[in-house]
Amino acid sequence: MRVVICGVGALGSAVAVACRNLDVSLRLVDFDRVESKNLQSQAFVKQSVGKNKAQALKMQLQNFYGVKVEAKGVRLAAGNVAELLGGAGLVLDCFDNAASRQLICDYVREHAIPCLHGALSADGTYGMVRWDEAFTPDAEDAPGQPTCENGDHLPFIGIVSSVLARTASEFVQDGSQLNAMVSLSGVQRS
Amino acid sequence: MAILNITYNGLSVDYKANVADNMRDGDIRRTAIELIRSGQLRGLHIAHLPEDAFRDYVVDRLPTAGGARIYLRPKVPFG
Repeated sequence: MRVVICGVGALGSAVAVACRNLDVSLRLVDFDRVESKNLQSQAFVKQSVGKNKAQALKMQLQNFYGVKVEAKGVRLAAGNVAELLGGAGLVLDCFDNAASRQLICDYVREHAIPCLHGALSADGTYGMVRWDEAFTPDAEDAPGQPTCENGDHLPFIGIVSSVLARTASEFVQDGSQLNAMVSLSGVQRS
Repeated sequence: MAILNITYNGLSVDYKANVADNMRDGDIRRTAIELIRSGQLRGLHIAHLPEDAFRDYVVDRLPTAGGARIYLRPKVPFG
């Protein structure tokens, strides 16, 4: 099975690391470059600064764990969504904007591809892991709203990414599809 | 009927008494403010919670195996 991780920032980079033992073919999609500030909240190392995030994570997984993945250092768009998501057995949406999330939703719904969305609140106190059937993308309150770049949120990002990776793992193993809500009170799965 | 889950400041609590699953979003926000102010939600009591505390929150309705649930939650635009 091919699993495509869309967006390898805060959630996606940690999810990719946590999914490295799955018996699947991983594809990472992200057009962005690693900045030094990303080291505080994302699974990148200092040597990756300046590199494309998908390519950098591919190198890290290969060098640190001997795990081979496919990297697509491009922006997901209407013109390439079929090329990037086509043939996927599972899509993990870890993007940080509603427009890109909606692009994924439209494609996976049209082609009946299972899709699991991971999402975080701006203040790093609430997270959601939802299958596509129960998901609607939330817009930012304002353009340029501060995100979870601050390292203060790293522990919470770790919890949400772990729940996302665990949920993906369960789907790969037995097809189960549980949703989860993550807050500072705990994890509620249903 | 549905179970109402309210999250504020990262703390999440189920309101055990069922609410009408067709309750309007505005009524859900007002109900949540009253529940928190009055201390009816265990672990989530803020007597002077501002009137607009949930202005930017999302009312999310989700059918589950255990019955309908309504979530009043912060937006989650980031990944």
